[in-house]
Amino acid sequence: MATAWQTRSILGYESETVGELLRVEGLKTYFFTEAGVVKAVDGVSFVVNEGEPLGLVGESGSGKTVTMLSVMGIVPRPGRIVGGRVFFRGEEITSKSSEELRKFRGRKIGYVSQDPNSSLDPLFTIGSQLMEVVREHFQVSKSEAFERGVKLLEKVGIPEPETRMKSYPHELSGGMRQRVAIARALAGEPELLVADEPTTNLDVTIQAQVLDLLKALERELRMSLILITHDMGLIAEMTERVVVLYAGMVSEIAKTREIFASPRHPYTAALLASVPRLDRKTSLTPIPGNIPNLISPPSGCRFHPRCKYAREICVQQVPPLESIGGGREVSCLRWKEITLQEAA
Amino acid sequence: MGGLFNYVLRRILFAIPVFLAVSIITFLITNAAGNPVDIVRIGIKSITPAQLAALRAFYHVDDPLYVRYFLWLSDFVHGNLGQSLYTGSVAGMIVPWIGTTLELQIPSLFLALLIGIPIGIFSAKRQYSKGDYAITSLAIFGISMPTFWIGIMAIIIFSYYLHWLPAFGAVSAYPPYWWGSPFLDVVAHLILPLSVLTLVSIATITRLIRANMLEVLRQDYILAARASGLRESIVTYKHALKNAITPVVTIVGLSFGVLLAGAPALETTFSWPGLGYRFVVAATGLDLPVVQAITMIITIMVLAANVITDLVYAYLDPRVRIS
Amino acid sequence: MTAEKKQARRSASQWAVAWRRFRKNKSALAGGVIVLFFIFMALYGEFFAPYPPRSFACLYQGCTDLPPFTNWAHPLGTEPSGIDVYSEILHGAAGDLYVGVAATALSVAIGLVVGALSGYKSGAAAAILLGVTQVFFVLPVLILILLFSRIFILLVAKGLALTLIVVILGVFGWPTIAFVTRGEILRIKELEFVQAARSLGASNTRILFRHILLNVLSPIIVLSSLLVAGNILTEVVISFLGFGDPSTSTWGLLLQEGFLYVRTSWWVSLFPGIAVVIAVLGFNLVGDGLADALNPRIRE
Repeated sequence: MATAWQTRSILGYESETVGELLRVEGLKTYFFTEAGVVKAVDGVSFVVNEGEPLGLVGESGSGKTVTMLSVMGIVPRPGRIVGGRVFFRGEEITSKSSEELRKFRGRKIGYVSQDPNSSLDPLFTIGSQLMEVVREHFQVSKSEAFERGVKLLEKVGIPEPETRMKSYPHELSGGMRQRVAIARALAGEPELLVADEPTTNLDVTIQAQVLDLLKALERELRMSLILITHDMGLIAEMTERVVVLYAGMVSEIAKTREIFASPRHPYTAALLASVPRLDRKTSLTPIPGNIPNLISPPSGCRFHPRCKYAREICVQQVPPLESIGGGREVSCLRWKEITLQEAA
Repeated sequence: MGGLFNYVLRRILFAIPVFLAVSIITFLITNAAGNPVDIVRIGIKSITPAQLAALRAFYHVDDPLYVRYFLWLSDFVHGNLGQSLYTGSVAGMIVPWIGTTLELQIPSLFLALLIGIPIGIFSAKRQYSKGDYAITSLAIFGISMPTFWIGIMAIIIFSYYLHWLPAFGAVSAYPPYWWGSPFLDVVAHLILPLSVLTLVSIATITRLIRANMLEVLRQDYILAARASGLRESIVTYKHALKNAITPVVTIVGLSFGVLLAGAPALETTFSWPGLGYRFVVAATGLDLPVVQAITMIITIMVLAANVITDLVYAYLDPRVRIS
Repeated sequence: MTAEKKQARRSASQWAVAWRRFRKNKSALAGGVIVLFFIFMALYGEFFAPYPPRSFACLYQGCTDLPPFTNWAHPLGTEPSGIDVYSEILHGAAGDLYVGVAATALSVAIGLVVGALSGYKSGAAAAILLGVTQVFFVLPVLILILLFSRIFILLVAKGLALTLIVVILGVFGWPTIAFVTRGEILRIKELEFVQAARSLGASNTRILFRHILLNVLSPIIVLSSLLVAGNILTEVVISFLGFGDPSTSTWGLLLQEGFLYVRTSWWVSLFPGIAVVIAVLGFNLVGDGLADALNPRIRE
């Protein structure tokens, strides 16, 4: 879906590539725990282009959330970024001080977390939580902030927004809470919105509404979207490009259509095979084996213990992320030899 | 705020049956080994017939048990607390005793919160650091020590050896006053027991705040607040602290009973003439009217503290008001 | 494998994981060592003690009121009344351990039953139990203990008074356990595996004992350790105030005597106090360590 895109010029940032919004290079984030060093993100690189919704997909523990938290600079203790660089519109943000990075958060990148039941502070009204973000990023009066809050609630489709400003989170349904969480993420008017499993904890009927809302916001606010999920169905519906993560490393990057039509990495294929599809008759095959231990991950290619195409070389060498043409990247040593099943 | 008012009303109404239940238990305990007059007669050889007669009248010993209970309860509610065996009308003496105990407990609680909360926050934010380790070690030592024993050690060091501070009483009974004036005299007497009590309370509160802050800082809404770009001070002191402190409010309020319970031993150590000390003296001397009166007064204080605690909690946490 | 057996298997390894975590925690281990040492002292202290309990031997041997570290026969000094401090501390360990553990056991027994009943069953009976728990929770425990103790010590044979204190502490200490038990049961009742087990036809009692008790036990074990610490402290206060058993050795009794002689013989207050602090610290460390070890953590 090609969009007519107006590049926003902000204080003269220059992009290396036209339309490139976010660039992650070799990001490494480790957690230093009592049990050992957990290598949650171990060399992740990808690019997000303006107007091109990106999906970050993988099982739980693959490092999807930690990657985006690292980008925003809020990795919880005992975690730390230990390597790599991140650029936003060409400007390196990994070299910024924590105070500069803080001003960046919410204003350039917004984040909506998984569980709407716990992402809002239960002791404060919705209004106060929206207004505090507005006033943090913009020098406005209280009444102006209130007005903006009302508009935000309108935008996410909350009925009677003015009365709702005085409500507490527990007085709203799960779906409404998720909308409010989205509204708060938008309060700083960011250019990029990261939605972390936005529909996992919602009823099926509400899920569709939230997804429609996100799509509408992308259009109206000219905002780019990163969708973190383990659900391939969401990927198909919401994204144009996909980054597949496994055990803290990138398996494959490609356009969404290409991923579904002809995956190149065995893990991607396995993910697709474990998802029910309406267009073909297939049996669901769960991926054998367990999520790898991130303190002492498997040698060589991390997926090899669960991969039916694994050979000797896969145990010994760590596959590099190769560009295989057409903007596609794969990290599999045998990608040329294997023909994977999932033809559309 | 209508919900809040109803909630408070319900809490107060709930306190009444509890009060009655405690009064029944107290009454039963005092009468469990036989009626009070017999107990006193066995326990105190020097009792005079006049005192026995007064006791008999007060306790209505010729009536059956439940009648005695109601008469006693009605006496209490009307302010007739009986005559002490040694010192006259109980009702007349008890108010200063309450004041003396509160004079120690309330500033101590205040100081402990003032000092303990920031330390707990600091400790939680810097988990795994050397500072955190030092604080948690000190705190666990603090809660393992009997408060009155620290008091004894303090008396030995600061009073008997260094002569810096007085060892007993709330005031000097006669001049010369410590540090020049009657006011400073009171201050001088207050320092040791207040410090001892506060130190132990700080240990408890630090542990509580730290534990709750650690829990709260793990929550999603804290992450979301940071992700919105809010400054760290707002995240910590507005969101995290408010969430962490609500259970602390409950525990502090509920442990007001425990705090008062620490009063007998600590007050005895310093001969501090509050409710605790008077209770010990009265119980040792089997001065039952005084004992019963103090028990009921302390119960009322604990119940009042609980209601106030519930109030504060409901004010802080809006989710509570519906149930 | 049936759902029950699977759950039991997983729970068994839960304990193994917790034990491993406990072992790694240095302060918890230190606490464990202290507790074991304390138990050893309580059980076998009498063999190391130069004098029998409550012995005023020094009155006749002319060694009263000796300061500590001056005489190897009386390393921690003696009281003006003739009691040897070191000897009494060894004997006192038994008294305090007895009170601490027995009272806790009693509280846990009552608390578990009351909490379980009021949590698992619903209806009037449960509501009444809850009410009773709340009333007991609010009681000014120490005051009532002192009152009770004073009135009954008069009429109870010597030596039994300590047991009486155990009973009182036990009877007044169960509300916290009951509340926690009830809370856990309410929470677990709703969990899926219980409903699954029920649908498989397992009878009510089996569900209760197998699945729920296993999960309830974790916080209760933590509480028990802390409760022992608290009961020891309470016993010390009771005996210090003179409401304890004057014929059985306890540290609280020593502290009472120490207070009598506080002007002249500070060692009678210092050393028993240190013993109390160490013993209580041990149980607190173990309790904290257990809480850490048994706490399910979210991070991988």
